[in-house]
Amino acid sequence: MTAPAPNNRSPIAALILGWILPGAGHAYAGRWGKAVLFFLAITGLLVAGLVLADGTNILPRRLWYAAQVCAGGPAVALTPVSQYVASRGPIDWADPTHEMGTLYTAVAGFLNLLVMMDAYTRLAYPHRPEEADEDKKEAA
Amino acid sequence: MWNALGSFFADLVSGNNPLWLYYPLCLVVGLVYKATKFDTPKKIVLAALHFFVSVTAGMLFLGLILYLISELL
Repeated sequence: MTAPAPNNRSPIAALILGWILPGAGHAYAGRWGKAVLFFLAITGLLVAGLVLADGTNILPRRLWYAAQVCAGGPAVALTPVSQYVASRGPIDWADPTHEMGTLYTAVAGFLNLLVMMDAYTRLAYPHRPEEADEDKKEAA
Repeated sequence: MWNALGSFFADLVSGNNPLWLYYPLCLVVGLVYKATKFDTPKKIVLAALHFFVSVTAGMLFLGLILYLISELL
């Protein structure tokens, strides 16, 4: 087990920032390239899922919302939009494209959980072993 | 059996099959997952492609088995 390095950046802050905006935890940790990649991938997946379902799938009354809300700020911000669109007419829950859209948004949430944990552990355990390091050891 | 196999692959490549949406999803999952593991862009992209190919091949194999079971039994 590696000990936390003396660092004035808080892992908890990285975790919370990563929830507020996907990738913000990595930006806080100084990893701007990854922050941009995570923001584009997770927010893109969330918006694509919403578009696929005609804007009617980020609804708090459904169990999927537990996964969707893990995508953080964008998911919370899109919730009233989705509620408004859903209230305007019937929703075809059995439509396969609608289901894929819901899956996209839920996966975006799960991916953001992974990214938040990564931002946390990068600050809490800066000397954690990386797969890349393992590869280098094997090659040597 | 050959007819079943043929219609399985014909269904997969038909334009209105929502399973097409699986490919970008799998690619993004691979990219994000591998970006948490590796640091260099080249390594991330290669690992994500490897992830995509192996998961897709596994899903195709499982799908084929399930399709043949449902068609032949």
